[in-house]
Amino acid sequence: MSRTLYDLAYGRAGDKGNIANISVIARTSEAYQDLKMRLTAERVKAHLGDLAPGRVLRYELDNIEALNFVLYDALDGGATRSLRIDALGKSLPGALLCMEWD
Amino acid sequence: MTYRIGSAQGFYGDDVTKALPMITGGHVDAVCFEALSELTLAILQKDRLANPARGYTFDLNIIARQILPEAYKRKIPLITNGGGLNPLAAAEMMRETAEKLGLYGIKIAAITGDDVLAQLSELQAAGEPFTNLDTGEAIAKTLNQQFMAANVYLGAAPIVQALHAGADIVITGRVADPCLYLAPLIAHYDWEWDNWNMLASGIVAGHLLECTGQVVGGNSLAALRSLNPRDLPHLGYPIAEVEADGSFVITKTPDTPGLVSVETVKEQLLYEVHDPANYLTPDVAADFTTLRLTQDGENRMRVSGIAGKPPPEKLKVNIARLEGYMRELIFTIGYPEAWLKVEWLKAMIAESWRDLPIGRISYSNLGMNSLYGSLATLPDDPLEVIVRVMFTAQDQDTLKTATRRAMANGLSCPPGMSVSGSTIGGDPRAIVGLWPALISRDKITPEIHFLEL
Repeated sequence: MSRTLYDLAYGRAGDKGNIANISVIARTSEAYQDLKMRLTAERVKAHLGDLAPGRVLRYELDNIEALNFVLYDALDGGATRSLRIDALGKSLPGALLCMEWD
Repeated sequence: MTYRIGSAQGFYGDDVTKALPMITGGHVDAVCFEALSELTLAILQKDRLANPARGYTFDLNIIARQILPEAYKRKIPLITNGGGLNPLAAAEMMRETAEKLGLYGIKIAAITGDDVLAQLSELQAAGEPFTNLDTGEAIAKTLNQQFMAANVYLGAAPIVQALHAGADIVITGRVADPCLYLAPLIAHYDWEWDNWNMLASGIVAGHLLECTGQVVGGNSLAALRSLNPRDLPHLGYPIAEVEADGSFVITKTPDTPGLVSVETVKEQLLYEVHDPANYLTPDVAADFTTLRLTQDGENRMRVSGIAGKPPPEKLKVNIARLEGYMRELIFTIGYPEAWLKVEWLKAMIAESWRDLPIGRISYSNLGMNSLYGSLATLPDDPLEVIVRVMFTAQDQDTLKTATRRAMANGLSCPPGMSVSGSTIGGDPRAIVGLWPALISRDKITPEIHFLEL
């Protein structure tokens, strides 16, 4: 069976207006080094497709071995405007964690 | 000596009675209640328009009747932003309830000054363009001037002042969430207003506390296999035990279910965070990238080494505007040829609404692509498809007409289709657009009002 990001990490999404963030917290130090090297903002944006129509920024937290991705224009106008059933984007970590990882 | 802050509310509608075991068990020195999401003030505006004595969160009634008596008895101050758009009316309600309960000697503080809705034009004339932080647009250039709420994120200072004056409960409107929790720490430890590392430590403690259940196992992917799901409604809410040097332990109310682990703390640390080296608040910019997490016993995580920097020059203001209404309909479609029938449904609806001023229309298939859009692979020949249609208009009547017309095709529809009854009976929902902007600090003067009994 192929590996997904969920095998290496877990995380949570948050919303501020039309901007979402997804934390990707490594399960091990080894996983963190791998993610830090290869889970780039470009790769995340390409994987998320329609879910990340705007800029994607990546922040590194070596101290807690986690990455934080900030997705602009990712919430269909924001929770109060969004026509999506998950208007707050609570399910967004799954969109990232289902990424196949070799 | 350690100072302990409990957190018993993370949103309007949270179970504020989780404060009781903290207070009666002697586990806290102050309890904070954070009630205001970005949308809450726009919801409260509807209450205030209907009745000028309203506009605060109804959870305050529970706090007044059930929690205040226990806290007052033990001289444990309560701090809440649940005053929403009307902290003064909330304080008056609190005083009346305290009188009925015989809480003589109580001192209630209400903090105002965050609500700038009535001054928006005046402030623009005085050189505040309210440029949208996300889009760069000036608000005067936009057509929609249907403002519902405009509130500035205040800092900890007026709360500290109220606590120093002996307030037993402090009721505010919009205050930056973590500043609610920072305030009692400053009041207790007398941290200087430029002691950035201390202020940032209080902010990080507040940030970890402000979403109650989310740091004790709620909404936690990491805790999915560590908790008993029957414990979720009973999770003990979090407490921060803070030292004079700013380091603190995050734990939960003793003898209650839940989990505080390195994982739950990391998850909450990054919740709703953008640049973790610059977590901006009115009082300090906190840096999350230097802190250390260490286990300090079961369900106890120590957080230390937090750094801070001066806060941004200006304050943040969120302006809410009414942008129209939205409505939902859910249709069920089964085998055979489900995808063809979905196309028929969409064509039928488009034709029925051809001459209506519908704004946006959004289709999704529940259970297939409603969460992850284009990431999802759709089956070729599904047994069932649940189609959700969301549509908007400037006015509610258009949405009612659109719904009636779609329903009038009930016996002239694609074969085997049905519509979810609860969505037919649903009401249009207001679309509230949020406009984040900045405002000069010298334009904002918080006021403290004391009500005593």
